[in-house]
Amino acid sequence: MIGPRVRVPGGVLARCFWRSLFLQAAWNRRGMQNLGFAYAIDPALRALYREPERRREALARHLGFFNCHPYAAAAILGGTIHHEERVAVGLEPPGAPVAYKATLQGPLAAIGDGFFWTALRPLFGAIAAVGALLFGWPAVVSTLTIYNAIHLVLRIGFFRTGYRRGDEVVGAIARLSLPRLAERLRLAAAGVCGAAAALVAVRADVVPRSGSFLTAALVSALGYFALSRGAPLLPAAYVAIAVGVGLALVTHLYGSPF
Amino acid sequence: MSLLVLGLVAGLAAVERKGFLQAMLSRPIALGPIAGLAAGDLPAGLSVAVPLELIWLGAVNLGAALPVHDALGTVAIAGGTALAAHVLRAGGLSGPALEPAVAAAAVLVCAPLALLGRRAERLVERWNERLYARAEHDLALGDADAAARVNLYGVALPFVISFLLAPAGAALAASLIPFFLGRFPAALPPLAFGFVTLTAFACASGAKAMRAAHAWVIYFLGLGVGLCVFAAAVMAGGRS
Repeated sequence: MIGPRVRVPGGVLARCFWRSLFLQAAWNRRGMQNLGFAYAIDPALRALYREPERRREALARHLGFFNCHPYAAAAILGGTIHHEERVAVGLEPPGAPVAYKATLQGPLAAIGDGFFWTALRPLFGAIAAVGALLFGWPAVVSTLTIYNAIHLVLRIGFFRTGYRRGDEVVGAIARLSLPRLAERLRLAAAGVCGAAAALVAVRADVVPRSGSFLTAALVSALGYFALSRGAPLLPAAYVAIAVGVGLALVTHLYGSPF
Repeated sequence: MSLLVLGLVAGLAAVERKGFLQAMLSRPIALGPIAGLAAGDLPAGLSVAVPLELIWLGAVNLGAALPVHDALGTVAIAGGTALAAHVLRAGGLSGPALEPAVAAAAVLVCAPLALLGRRAERLVERWNERLYARAEHDLALGDADAAARVNLYGVALPFVISFLLAPAGAALAASLIPFFLGRFPAALPPLAFGFVTLTAFACASGAKAMRAAHAWVIYFLGLGVGLCVFAAAVMAGGRS
């Protein structure tokens, strides 16, 4: 039987979004983010299903496997609430929200990982590091404020778009061209790292007569080649310290090698 | 008292890193100064945060893959640097080489904690499978509220692990480093230069983490242009 369309109240939607920030709190290898998703959507299910049995059934279907990027998952959460509203009045079968989640979680995880984790966040991390070298902690605070303004605007926007447009959220996110933008951000981050290396070399005057400028520049270059050839990160970092210590000792005992 | 505050900072960072929000507050560049402040020396935390952020720029949680526990490592290293530098200053050592030397030593002592943290995270994931079973059990008993709430219990174990391990690492650094450098103060300048080469290497690590075609070209371009610009700025500053 099809009833009148029901809407989850705005306050409940806000509560679901807030809870979505805990999406990975109990990440596990069997269900991954399932507990977080069930926790996030529960206020909406409570609003939609007044009968305890129907609410339990709805919560049970959201305890199934779920894994996505935590920011992009907000779109799926919004879209799933959209579908649950339709299930509640009989417009869709109970399996529809689960199918929606299953269809979107992979592609949105790829977009979220590729844009946020491997591009936007590293770029802001590199900018904050250079800012810290040049201007101290205020630069770090400013950089992180800008990052979070972008992150929260997109995260809230994903949730609203998912809720309002359901399946059409895919097209809305595709129009942002995040993968193409991510490639540019990665290149920018690499450039910022290069600038950071130059800044470190210019400031490398801790040990006089050690050829410190040239040493730092060489370590920046050779480090890249070593990592490209598969050198493990932490041992390579230890070697970098050892190179500096060794060179400074040689300099102290025998004068600058440069 | 400092160790207790460091523990709280590490615990909250461990939760922010994966369980809640993920707003870069647990990244080394944000966490280093906070840990430094918690240990009474913000500049020390900030200086060590720069190489740590760049070294671990590629430490991201993709799917089921676990990166090193950068937050745990950062609190231990930054806290250890601040505490050890304080002890050495109280012992009469000073100079521009002190802080970078202590930071390099703290990295040597505490960085493996980031790997240990990753192992601990595997245990947390297994523990969370019990929470999953508990949620199913609660739901079978008809208690939907309890089943939904189980998710929040997942933040407890990461908090406790970092609360315990990070201050332990910082305390180890704060005892080992002054013990060594107090007896061999001549090691300060070489270690300080070791910190410079570590930071230089960190820049390479950050660029390498950017898996983009031609990233290496942009990195070396940035390095070359940066060297020219910064060297010109230094020379101009020297003349004026």
